[in-house]
Amino acid sequence: MTQRPQKIFSRKKVCRFCADKELTINYKDVKTLRNFVSERGKIIPRRIVGTCATHQRQLCEAIKRARHIALLPYSGSVQG
Amino acid sequence: MRRYETICILRPNLTEEQISTLIDNTTNIIQSDNGQVIELDKWGMKKLSYPIKKESLGYYLYCDYAGSPEAVAEMERKFRIDDSVLRYLTVKTSEAITAEEVEKATEELADRKAAEAQSNEEEEEQEKDVSEDTDDDSNNNED
Repeated sequence: MTQRPQKIFSRKKVCRFCADKELTINYKDVKTLRNFVSERGKIIPRRIVGTCATHQRQLCEAIKRARHIALLPYSGSVQG
Repeated sequence: MRRYETICILRPNLTEEQISTLIDNTTNIIQSDNGQVIELDKWGMKKLSYPIKKESLGYYLYCDYAGSPEAVAEMERKFRIDDSVLRYLTVKTSEAITAEEVEKATEELADRKAAEAQSNEEEEEQEKDVSEDTDDDSNNNED
């Protein structure tokens, strides 16, 4: 019997919006949305940021709205 | 009545007069259908994240109101025709809103504005006191 190597990088990710009830998702709030897009302006996947399904869905919608009114870029570096 | 909020981006080279006539026209459309404007906010000139119609700056207008779907359709039709509107976005924030709730919302808004103005004053006072401390913090972050 060989033992499987234990995962080294296992830190439990917690959804930031579930942990902090005061933090709300709003498409006008660019400051918080910036935390959930990459430098290139892409939406960061759930497996990396660790948000729960419900909040990721809301977040996704908010980011897309913010992009439409040019608060966030569709692509390219932030303020590029 | 439903509650909506609309953001529109105007061309940066418009005069104050042109902006105010556009605001009047849109508020007229809302009010002609028994709607009510709750909040109208000029965010002012902002840098766009990407150029729209070759413009890199835009004048943002924000409007929170109670109105009918027909009024929204009419307003958006006007926006589409108007060359000075670069973009618009309407979001429904509430399915149904009564006149009482509109009043409540306007009151809350007034309270919030007053509170904000107060906190801004306090912050300014604090900033004067803390200005020396913040310098030290920034040095620590660089390390």
